[in-house]
Amino acid sequence: MQLNDPILALFADADDENTWYSSLSMIPEVIRIIANRFLLVTLDNMRGLGINPRLAIVSGALYPTMMPELIKELKNNFPRMEILVLSSTVAPFPQIERLLTDKVRHLVIEPISQNAALYRNQSPLLLAVNNLVNKQKWEIAEYVKDGTQIHVFQLSSSNEKEQVIGTIESMVRGETAEHELLRQKGALLADEMLENAFYGAPKGADGNKIFRKGEQRSLLPGEKIVFRFAFDGETLAMEMADNWGSLAPDMIMEYLARNQNSIGLPDDIGGRGLFIIWRFLDQFHVNITPGNQTVVGGHLRVSSPFPPEAPRGFHITTTEKEKNQWMHYYTSFLTVFHNTITSR
Amino acid sequence: MDALLHIVPDRFPQYDYFALNGNIDAQAEKQLKELPAKVKQPKVTIDFSKTGRINSMGIALLLRCFKAIREEKKANIELVGLTPMNTMLFKMTGIFLLATPAKV
Repeated sequence: MQLNDPILALFADADDENTWYSSLSMIPEVIRIIANRFLLVTLDNMRGLGINPRLAIVSGALYPTMMPELIKELKNNFPRMEILVLSSTVAPFPQIERLLTDKVRHLVIEPISQNAALYRNQSPLLLAVNNLVNKQKWEIAEYVKDGTQIHVFQLSSSNEKEQVIGTIESMVRGETAEHELLRQKGALLADEMLENAFYGAPKGADGNKIFRKGEQRSLLPGEKIVFRFAFDGETLAMEMADNWGSLAPDMIMEYLARNQNSIGLPDDIGGRGLFIIWRFLDQFHVNITPGNQTVVGGHLRVSSPFPPEAPRGFHITTTEKEKNQWMHYYTSFLTVFHNTITSR
Repeated sequence: MDALLHIVPDRFPQYDYFALNGNIDAQAEKQLKELPAKVKQPKVTIDFSKTGRINSMGIALLLRCFKAIREEKKANIELVGLTPMNTMLFKMTGIFLLATPAKV
């Protein structure tokens, strides 16, 4: 790591800095800044000195409530810098609309409790910093112990969904109430991820969904849905990949915000499946290669450090890949082909 | 447990009773659509003790069903047999704004 591309950590005050001291102590090259009226001058001076931080860790005690314009200022000064908002399981839920407006794609909720140290080696913050600094995608193998088997299912029909769910339920062994809850959560998460892949992802050229939830369907020629999961006795990690790449980061954030704030309003509100996935996982990741692939995943634990009502973090990343012209024509062909056979 | 939803009704002097047995997902649409018409009394008890998985589509159908019971039948809905998982799910999706969990 070079001295001119450190990591910034911004706090509301000295107490706030102290809260995160131990979590941040394991990250090298961190410049800690307590936000005061000189903050903008400090950022400007850093830029003037040729310091280009690769990542800013922004405390949830500072943003968005105390300094709503902070992300805009950071982006003005360091346009290529990644931004991660850090909050705790005991803090109020960060205003998701503000994160949507500012295009914040990384929210880490770190457990703050007496037994938090037990999870230090699996700290979501350390994993996030490592992935962001090294420009790596989130992968389920990172969540489980080394050597844990990853089960892979390449699906060909919606009828196979129950088989996948049954396998997860049988692999999560344990007789405690916590294990039973993990089995139920795992089953629901797999259900939602696969429903999204089978019925949410396939969209026609007009942007409308091609398939209706509940209808039995086989994969279209060239279509791919791969589900992976791993369980190491404590952590259940899972992810689903489809090759539509039809989700967009703003759309995901909008779904989360809408469902978070519109509880009990319209029954047909969009994105409820993604919202449930987010709220039931300890940490949620999405990687989108537009027009090419969407990966939705995350992990949860038997002894989760997250109380049920606690906010959850997310990582929403995009991988730019020039859309293959052939794939574009092929997708259009599939849509026309499907519409033709279903209209008969 | 049968995966498909079966609604088992019963009637008591003070309230209507329906047990929702099986999964609540897109396959449960017809059964849940027909449920409000079966409500005859101002209090309804819905029993989830034999309910399997409830997914986001199932939540949408329950919200629609409970709204219809409240608006068209002017009935209060009480939920029994909830698992901790159901309770978490119902809390985060607003089901409890339309129906009250029974006091244990």
